[in-house]
Amino acid sequence: MLYQTYVIFAKEFGGYFRSRLAYFLLGAYAFISMFAAFYMGGFFELNNMELFSFFYFQGDIFALLVPAITMRLWAEERRSGTMEVLLTQPLSYTSVVLGKFFSAWLFCTVLLVLTMPFLFSVGSFYPLDYLNILCSYLGCWFIAGVFCAVGCCVSAFNKSPVIAYIATLILSLIISTGNFDFLISEFGFSSNIMIRTIQSLNFSKHFQDLSSGQLGLDNIIYYLSMMILPLWLNVITVEYKKS
Amino acid sequence: MLVVKKLSKNFGRIRAVNNVNFSLKRGEIVTLLGPNGAGKTTLMRLISGYLEPSSGSVRILEHDVTTERQEALKNIGYVPENSPLYGDMTVFEYFLFIAKLRHMSDSSFQERYNEIVNNFELKSVINQRIETLSKGFRHRTAIAGALLTKPQILILDEPTEGLDPNQKHAFREFLKKYGENNLVVVSTHIMEEVEALATRVIMMNKGRIIKDSTAFDLKNFAKSQNLEDAFRQIINQ
Repeated sequence: MLYQTYVIFAKEFGGYFRSRLAYFLLGAYAFISMFAAFYMGGFFELNNMELFSFFYFQGDIFALLVPAITMRLWAEERRSGTMEVLLTQPLSYTSVVLGKFFSAWLFCTVLLVLTMPFLFSVGSFYPLDYLNILCSYLGCWFIAGVFCAVGCCVSAFNKSPVIAYIATLILSLIISTGNFDFLISEFGFSSNIMIRTIQSLNFSKHFQDLSSGQLGLDNIIYYLSMMILPLWLNVITVEYKKS
Repeated sequence: MLVVKKLSKNFGRIRAVNNVNFSLKRGEIVTLLGPNGAGKTTLMRLISGYLEPSSGSVRILEHDVTTERQEALKNIGYVPENSPLYGDMTVFEYFLFIAKLRHMSDSSFQERYNEIVNNFELKSVINQRIETLSKGFRHRTAIAGALLTKPQILILDEPTEGLDPNQKHAFREFLKKYGENNLVVVSTHIMEEVEALATRVIMMNKGRIIKDSTAFDLKNFAKSQNLEDAFRQIINQ
């Protein structure tokens, strides 16, 4: 299964660079990130030891760009009919889903890696807290992974990449801004366990934890489960479409 | 080699394939014949594992397509209608992708690659992106891709659509030869193809098999010298 996943992954990842989309997204990400950090984030007015103004907008930027990375993964296969070729090969659906997901996630990793020159340029002017910055990068990487998993799953539902883009964008925004704290007052929960459980569902809380250098196991488990759930749904969707 | 038992497929209230039974063996070239909407494509999709049956089973070399999908599909080469392909790949990249998916070794890929490129005259377009190919070349690429692993069962949905008369002739000759040691299932509504190829004809209408015989028997059954007349007569009965 691993080899099949790799073959699908290589095909999809190569596919990004066979089209102009990859280069457009690389340019768009660099531009939006810098614009957000310098103009919207007030880069020069803040203490930049942790590059706060850069990381603050990354969730929203990924919510905007990841749907463009994932929209064609299944929708294009369905629209062009190649899904029939792919799914009649002797491979497991899980390997196809994982291959597609990892290709999108690696593309996001490339986007993040390309911001390294910015990091080192700033580092030459300011004393940076590299450990915190590493944790923030990790947080961004996990956020991108969650949005990629959601995007893959949404893409499997329809033939139109445009619908896949819009639906993924909406879901990503809901996930990233979703705050369940209102449930505590609404239902009058007073037990510590319930309060902590509800608070732990908040997506932004985990990113804040990582940004402040708290690389806890709970954060990693949270993000991984937020990826596994849509990927599992993706496999189910592909199987369901057969029947 | 290929056993279809009580196979049915429903799409909502519509029954596209209705209680179909047959058994096919090596050395047969079987044409699925029928008017549009007869259920030929759905039947092929069920055999190739793309769709799951509502009831019944498909067994390929003793492997059930639903429960032992991967084992069963190792023995199948399938080309869907309109030969869908990855337009952003070159012909070579497509063959390499299929070879990797099917775990072909480098040496066997090299050997088969040379063979199919020569057989299907694809040398001139091998490094060309598929989206820039003519319909005929696309079609040949799709069929060549399906034949890369020398599958024991070859399933083709309207395979000569888009080919010129010379290519059609060459392709039919190739299929005849391939069908000597393998099983070939071809869906078509071109009578000329049935006459040129088929050792067995399965006629379908409204999801059911209405006739299972040789092309010769079909003509005799309909008391006609012309297969097209025989087809019309049987469908209208």
